Amino acid sequence: MSQRAPAPDDRQRLEAFEARIARGEKIEPGDWMPEAYRRQLVRMIGQHAHSEVVGMLPEGFWITRAPSLRRKLILIAKVQDEAGHGQYLYHAAETLGASRDELLDALLAGRAKYSSVFNYPTLSWADVGMIGWLVDGAAIRNQLMLAQCSYGPYSRAMVRICAEETFHHKQGKEMVLTYARGSARQRAMTQDALDRWWWPSLMMLGPHDGDSPNTPQLARWGIKTKTNDQVRQEFVDEHAPELMEAGLALPDPELAFDASSGHWLHGPIDWDEFWSVVKGHGPLNAERLAARRKAHEDGAWVREAMAAHSARTQGAP
Amino acid sequence: MAGRAPRDGQGPRWEVFKQDASDKPHQAVGSVHAADPEHALLMARSVHARRPAAVSLWVAPADAVFAVTEEELHATAPWTVEEGGSSRRFLVFRKTSHRRAMTFVDHVGVVDAPGPRAAVAAAVDAFPEPPALTWWVVPADDVVASPEDEADAWFAPARDKTYKQQSAYGLLAPGKHKRAGGSS
Repeated sequence: MSQRAPAPDDRQRLEAFEARIARGEKIEPGDWMPEAYRRQLVRMIGQHAHSEVVGMLPEGFWITRAPSLRRKLILIAKVQDEAGHGQYLYHAAETLGASRDELLDALLAGRAKYSSVFNYPTLSWADVGMIGWLVDGAAIRNQLMLAQCSYGPYSRAMVRICAEETFHHKQGKEMVLTYARGSARQRAMTQDALDRWWWPSLMMLGPHDGDSPNTPQLARWGIKTKTNDQVRQEFVDEHAPELMEAGLALPDPELAFDASSGHWLHGPIDWDEFWSVVKGHGPLNAERLAARRKAHEDGAWVREAMAAHSARTQGAP
Repeated sequence: MAGRAPRDGQGPRWEVFKQDASDKPHQAVGSVHAADPEHALLMARSVHARRPAAVSLWVAPADAVFAVTEEELHATAPWTVEEGGSSRRFLVFRKTSHRRAMTFVDHVGVVDAPGPRAAVAAAVDAFPEPPALTWWVVPADDVVASPEDEADAWFAPARDKTYKQQSAYGLLAPGKHKRAGGSS
């Protein structure tokens, strides 16, 4: 960032802008905003949109393998929701001047980040339930926080997404609870899914506060109203006791309830693993991007046909 | 032909307005990319009406929307308007609250004006209360609606898909039906 002192005009505008946020007003497209506010939002919203889109892949794999028509209908609806959530978020980024093509180019070229958690494989049907309960549970915690955000279009997208993802969370929880009291094989499959998804779910809430350099600025501008560690604690407090009550064992020997703070305290997170996945070396980073590129390329003829039809019926531009 | 394909492979952007019941206003819910109005309406249904309730959708090309925030209205003094010329009809939308919400501006009515800036000035006069934080005016000719006589075919199927509602799953308490011998 430039070290140049802002012009007096900009300093006044910045003060007025920060006063608006302090009053709880929403910033809307067209309102004055610091360039860094716009840039941070485009970065965050773009990553968030990509996460929804890439998030369709781990579960989409299981649509044709669902064990019943009911589970299949639910899973199709859930994956369809994720596509819709990507659309809500790309729209929010576009209100800040980002173009959809540039955002998609960045994803397909591997320049843009998306949530680390989607680079893990879905090895069994129980993973679909565990993703719903844990991954969507963690996402909802983060998104309830972002629904308070000062930027109107991002906040509105979050309110809508949370309302819809409550269904994702519940269908996953229902599935896990059913299998956790099912046959020995179902219980084993569910425990195995928990063993593999617990830590990635904690990691997806982002780096430790000490390694999250953007947070203070984002908090000052009302973009993030809680830190990563605060949201992670909320997630653990909500999910750990329920998973244990369901008869499952959490893969963290240090996890314990701390009566003095009223929180469930977890053991150390393997941040080396987290950064390795973020930097592109997770189990399936390459496969996820390749699948996304193939879908984009396979759809090219549809986009071309639509454009040709439009040119013929509406007159070429 | 690839050479003629527009740079934006996603097609132009369309703003989407959804009406939840016949006595409620159309509300701005977001935008979709589509090649033409018919395509935009289908995209709008898939993206914005997967669940009840919707009874009608409108789409308008994003560049047909003239948007003004309170800040812009007051920063530009005086607010100059187009004069003369023939009058066109504009649909007027506004946002009046900073409360957390799922939708942006609500449809409040129409004004006739020679241009969008004059339409905003007319809207400020016609709809003074409560004070608006954001105004949108859109030429009526640019707005395309979902077919009224097919509303059921468009929107009724979402009502039967109750498995998309979190309420279909009831209260899920892990302890309630604990399996025999489960750890406690």
